[in-house]
Amino acid sequence: MRAVRALVRKDLLLELRGREVVPAMVVFVLAAFVLFRFALGGDRLGGGVRAATGMLWVAVVFTAILGLARAFAVEREHRIWDGLLASPIDRSAIWAAKAVSTFAFLVVMQAVALPLFWLFFLQQADGPSFAVLIAALLAADVGIAALGALLAGLASAGQAREVLLPVLFLPFAVPLVLVGVQVSIGTIPPQTADFGTVRELGFLALYATIFALLGWALFEYVVED
Amino acid sequence: MSSPDAVECTGLVRRFGEREALAGVDLRVAPGEVVLLTGPNGAGKTTLLRVLAGVIRPGGGRAAVAGHELPAAAAAVRPLVGYAGHEPLVYPRLTARENLELYAALYGVSPEAVAPALERVGLDGRAGDRAADLSRGMRQRLALARATLHVPEVLLFDEPTSGLDEQGRALLGRLLGGSQAALVATHELATLAAAADRAVRLELGRVAA
Repeated sequence: MRAVRALVRKDLLLELRGREVVPAMVVFVLAAFVLFRFALGGDRLGGGVRAATGMLWVAVVFTAILGLARAFAVEREHRIWDGLLASPIDRSAIWAAKAVSTFAFLVVMQAVALPLFWLFFLQQADGPSFAVLIAALLAADVGIAALGALLAGLASAGQAREVLLPVLFLPFAVPLVLVGVQVSIGTIPPQTADFGTVRELGFLALYATIFALLGWALFEYVVED
Repeated sequence: MSSPDAVECTGLVRRFGEREALAGVDLRVAPGEVVLLTGPNGAGKTTLLRVLAGVIRPGGGRAAVAGHELPAAAAAVRPLVGYAGHEPLVYPRLTARENLELYAALYGVSPEAVAPALERVGLDGRAGDRAADLSRGMRQRLALARATLHVPEVLLFDEPTSGLDEQGRALLGRLLGGSQAALVATHELATLAAAADRAVRLELGRVAA
């Protein structure tokens, strides 16, 4: 745990000093909202709540890819991988730390994105049930971070890593978006959260658990030359 | 019973795709012995050190460090080895102190070991400077402090003299003069000859006769 804590602290310090990932994610999600708002018909919001929530989840997934593409950039660009791999830590600790820092970056991005989402798309609707929406996003973030850190590690070893990461990640993100949209629709009046919402939140939690276990178990083989 | 060799390789092979970087290396380094590894670019020096440090797996033959076989006992080997690669292996945006604190956590070393380690390499006055702001030679000193922070039994250094000034080279000589065994890849045989017990030449992935 000490190694994971130290690696997370390192990632957060590097981001605080370099500001390479989170500001880019925030600008990207804001730009996506603006484009989607125009594409969905401006004030009239063609497609209604389903289109708006679908857009939110698609924006979250694409913004996550943007952040994940930089996940191992410092280690790769400065060839620090050898230093980490020569150290006597379980290699899964490297994955765990990267997943935790990715989760933190996603949460910060969404703390900005969620109020903007409401402002851009739902201003005329009654306020959504933010507690359920936030719970869904957090559960999804854990899954995205766990899976994303694993795939970013895999892609970072490859030649065409910028292409490889989205190609690997997006198919796995499909169920996340489908279920995320279902949960989100249930949070916006006149809908109300019901048993279906609990089941869908359960799915997001299961998704996160499965990829957390896979990330922990497989990362050693991913970084194996 | 005598202690096992610090490094023992028999017929060690490592390929990268079609290219054979190590083509059957036979090498022994006794406990406490300092061996210089020389040879032209592409001879396999860096690959050999990376295999012995547990960074990459051997492709065939036998490799062991302090009696622990690689790759099966890599987890036992890594805490015993102090590996300084061709690059300093430090984060440019972290300070010298923060870099060593990070590696102290990875090696299970007390954070209190960081200040003496910086002092040993003459960086105590620059502990709060970011690695990116240090000169090439100072980053190399930081790399040496990082590699020896956990007091390893076996030193594996790759071109450790690069960027070092006279004081830095003297410091490297002192590090190699300790009780640890060392395998040092270098093109500067004359500089390190005084600190070494012998030299081995690698050519085309094999120890030259």
